[in-house]
Amino acid sequence: MDDATRPILEIDKLSISFFTRLREIPAVMDFSAKVFPGEALGLVGESGCGKSTVALGVMQDLGTNGRIVGGSIRFKGRDLGQMSQAELRQIRGSQIAMIYQEPMASLNPAMRIGRQLVEVPMIHEGVSETEAWARALEVVSDVRLPDPERILRSYPHQLSGGQQQRIVIAMALMSKPALLILDEPTTALDVTVEAAVVDLVKDLGKKYGTSMLFISHNLGLVLETCDRICVMYSGEAVERGSIEDVFDRMRHPYTQALFRSIPLPGADKTAKPLVAIPGNFPLPHERPPGCNFGPRCDYFVKGRCDARDIPMLPVEGDERHESRCIRFDEIDWAAEPQGITAKGKTRPGEPVLRIESLRKYYETAANALFGSGETKVVKANEDIGFEARESETLAIVGESGCGKSTFAKVLLGLETASGGKIVLDNREIQDTAINKRDTQTVADVQMVFQNPFDTLNPSMTVGRQIMRALEVFGVGNGDAERRERMLTLLDLVKLPRAFAERMPRQLSGGQKQRVGIARAFAGGARIVVADEPVSALDVSVQAAVTDLLMEIQREQKTTLLFISHDLSIVRYLADRVLVMYLGHVVEIGTTDQVFAPPYHPYTEALLSAVPIADTRVEKKHIVLEGEIPSAMNPPPGCPFQTRCRWKSHVPGNKCETELPPFRTLGDGHHALCWLTDEQLATMEPVIKVAAE
Amino acid sequence: MDALTWTGSLGTVLNPLLWVSVALLLLAVAGQVLASLLPAPQMRPRPDGTLVATTGLRGLADTAGRFALLALLAVLLAYIVAGALMPYGSAGIVGAVARRFAPVWISLALVFALSIHFRRRLGLFGRLFDSTIGMIGFGLVLFWVFTALYFTAFGWIATHDPLSQLSGMKNVLPGEPVAMAPEGAWPHYLLGGDNLARDVFSRMVAGSAIVVLIAPLATLFAFMVGITLGLPAAYFGGRLDQILSFLANLVLAFPVILLFYLLVTPEIVQTGIPSFMAMVLFVFPILFLAVLLDSRYRTDRRKRWPILAVTLAVTGWLYLSLVSQPGTPVNFLHPDVDLFNIPGGILIVFVSVVFVNSPTVFRIGRGLALDLATRDYVAAAQTRGERPWYIMLWEMLPNARGPLIVDFCLRIGYTTILLGTLGFFGLGLPPESPDWGTTINDGRRFLSIYPHAAIVPALALLSLVLGLNLLADGLREESLKD
Repeated sequence: MDDATRPILEIDKLSISFFTRLREIPAVMDFSAKVFPGEALGLVGESGCGKSTVALGVMQDLGTNGRIVGGSIRFKGRDLGQMSQAELRQIRGSQIAMIYQEPMASLNPAMRIGRQLVEVPMIHEGVSETEAWARALEVVSDVRLPDPERILRSYPHQLSGGQQQRIVIAMALMSKPALLILDEPTTALDVTVEAAVVDLVKDLGKKYGTSMLFISHNLGLVLETCDRICVMYSGEAVERGSIEDVFDRMRHPYTQALFRSIPLPGADKTAKPLVAIPGNFPLPHERPPGCNFGPRCDYFVKGRCDARDIPMLPVEGDERHESRCIRFDEIDWAAEPQGITAKGKTRPGEPVLRIESLRKYYETAANALFGSGETKVVKANEDIGFEARESETLAIVGESGCGKSTFAKVLLGLETASGGKIVLDNREIQDTAINKRDTQTVADVQMVFQNPFDTLNPSMTVGRQIMRALEVFGVGNGDAERRERMLTLLDLVKLPRAFAERMPRQLSGGQKQRVGIARAFAGGARIVVADEPVSALDVSVQAAVTDLLMEIQREQKTTLLFISHDLSIVRYLADRVLVMYLGHVVEIGTTDQVFAPPYHPYTEALLSAVPIADTRVEKKHIVLEGEIPSAMNPPPGCPFQTRCRWKSHVPGNKCETELPPFRTLGDGHHALCWLTDEQLATMEPVIKVAAE
Repeated sequence: MDALTWTGSLGTVLNPLLWVSVALLLLAVAGQVLASLLPAPQMRPRPDGTLVATTGLRGLADTAGRFALLALLAVLLAYIVAGALMPYGSAGIVGAVARRFAPVWISLALVFALSIHFRRRLGLFGRLFDSTIGMIGFGLVLFWVFTALYFTAFGWIATHDPLSQLSGMKNVLPGEPVAMAPEGAWPHYLLGGDNLARDVFSRMVAGSAIVVLIAPLATLFAFMVGITLGLPAAYFGGRLDQILSFLANLVLAFPVILLFYLLVTPEIVQTGIPSFMAMVLFVFPILFLAVLLDSRYRTDRRKRWPILAVTLAVTGWLYLSLVSQPGTPVNFLHPDVDLFNIPGGILIVFVSVVFVNSPTVFRIGRGLALDLATRDYVAAAQTRGERPWYIMLWEMLPNARGPLIVDFCLRIGYTTILLGTLGFFGLGLPPESPDWGTTINDGRRFLSIYPHAAIVPALALLSLVLGLNLLADGLREESLKD
């Protein structure tokens, strides 16, 4: 066999276990995969399914209590398990390179970028420093960083998150590895930055001919970057095959359930809602007999699926497509999901909240102790205005630093506005801090937080935390009455009543988020600000929590302000969308208006950046260059002018000098742009769904 | 009566065993150190799912070390058990001392048996018993706590009055019989007599009572002061934080010993500065309790005021009794309503220790709070309109408890040493006080001729502080797991 047909990496029936004081915890069982030269394999699964453990196993870096208990990992035909530490050191970093999720944690903060990069070839190939430096320059320009000389001389903290991740990629490519392992490389980055990094990884893979093992929980990303995919569930590979086979002709119920629980174009919260996977992920030592997915599977047949361990079975007719399901031949894969009832559409009612040209500036003094020196002004919010109606979902979209969190703080009263108005039921509340607001106002405007592991106080029982909210909002007379109310709130968010006595650490992420929702609705909130409420949750749980929010909204006619950067979920659940950039509202309109041309140029780029896990979708490719400008020093004129690809279409340099008008593009559809109607009319849709 | 030897007839059997086991332990430890230089052994899984290291040279050394330690412990236990069971005198000084401590042994055994049995239900305290270090530390601390308790409550354990002097017993060696013993008196000075013919053993026991009472209490007060100031400094930040941090740095920058000398100088005491400091420092626990309860019951109109009134009345009365001292400038309470008076010297020691410790606690509390203030549950509390003190005391403080408990244990150790230092310099406490610092200072002058008078309290001090440090280590280790 010649080199091109021999796999670079061959994992055969790999089993990895972690050993604790109590028991053995099998993290990966019977896992096989092959990566051929130049091929990218995507490894997909929810947290805890063992995908990162596979990567660590390939690196032979399992810590003191992790062991490979079966199978083998061959790299270029050699068994990694049989190599000595010295041989492994030689291979790591030079033949196999790994890129981790958190770029700042992968770079040494005390060393200049250049020194860290030249180390790699100097150690592995013994090249001279000047040669290594030349190569570092080349690689840094390859990862499309501006001014490589300056970058090499800077320290990691002087770069933005996206630039840091590019440096980590550059470091991995310094010695031209044969295999690159990427463990959620873009999870910590913003969407537009993510799109640029993914684009870069794809191109570099082609240029250097590197094989890739791409680990992600995001199916859309895998679709964009990989040739083949392997879906993992609870320590096992459940389905693997080419991207087209698995995405379009999936043959495992878990893969199908996964696709049904993510918002794809065409999903709709009323007519075609998402289907959450029932039940919970089994703990590694509590896996059921037979098929691990059995207890949550719609196609489960007692006596067959739980009778014995299930092997990977080849799918006839497809090349290298296998599934760990003994019934995949009998299942009708084209059938629509059962028991899904279309829910009634809610009609937005009267406006309850009106924001008028709201501004929030922060002053930061250079020297705090001796108040001299000039103060700098951070313009976090500049001219925000919109109206929200009863039982309406308004999505606020934007990347980090666009001012959406500051807006939430001002609305909730944690900060007071620097100018403009917030009108709630004809009362102006922008200048009233939370401690001065009356109880009803406080109870009316509540928030659901992003991080489920941080949203509950770890040393208070779940029930006590909800009870406290009831006490503060003055709900009920006496503890007995409040207790009863607390239990009904748990019913509302579909948690068992016994959870009242639990501590937060005994709950899973999705359950904690439900408690957070129950707490927010304790005082009968009318306006709920949900700050990325599902982005930290696993895909299968996301659907359930989203569904819950929608259901409560329907019952209680709540106004939901849904802050998110994930446009797929926004498209699925929002009635109207508001796009923010650098403290400005750049576009607002109904969901259909915002997701179809004419777009604001920023919205256009944002839409193009979102990975969509659907092979039928064709996207226009727009990569935003550069970084978001600092709010301390915003550009003159249009806030988006530094990165706008339409700037050249506007005559007279107006974008750089004058703030554009907030023009009307249609009924209730506005955008902050200088482009004329004719120019806007030439815009093509970014997302096109190919006809089936 | 004859003089007692160290081990009596017990020694003929046990002493050789003791030496052998000590020698074995040293050998095994040396072997372990050597073996750890060799490459790590391969681990392989056992069928029950735990890992086992293949027994190489290292495994052998580990096993030997474990058995040597067990043997040593067994021999030590034999001294205690046999000493306590054999008739008085025949087991020597060791036996007699072991028998004197019998109530402590029994209590220790009970506490350990119960704790180990129920450890899975006792949270962090229960997990302490998974760590050998933590268990040893807990045992040492508990030993002195029970000793102090039984001595103060029932007058047990001590053999003589720690202050009375018996003629002819000046600087006698351990085990010396009491000459011309009065009727019913203990026949021996078990650990010898000091420079003023007092029983060293009894003074050591009596000294433990002072340390075990003052050190934790002073540390607790220092924590209340430090936390009551540290949390708002971190939470509000800004000017308040700057001023408080500056004050803390000021106190920390002042030499501790000099501060003590100043505070106990009669002229300074006359001006009332220590009493006024006591007035200020002791307000903080009241503030702490009142704010803690008030913020919790803010929303409950029926409970809020009664609870606040009762708390303020009780703690206020205690506070006034504590602060008001006859003979100092601060004396305003009529003796009939004055609940108790603390001897002037002890109050000053107490005030100094609290004053010196609270800035450090302030900084720890502030650091923890700075981190906790960024959590979402704090933001959640803010968005439902909670008052700042509720957020600080009920949302943030409970989540800082781990590091604070560990620091509390360590800080009791520092305080114990501080008390010893104060006593050693003769500051604050009366000269005849049996506390360990004072007794070490007394024995110091004859250290080269009669070392026992200084060594016994020094060892006592060492074992208590060591115990506290080990306990803190064990707690930290166990709290970091999972």
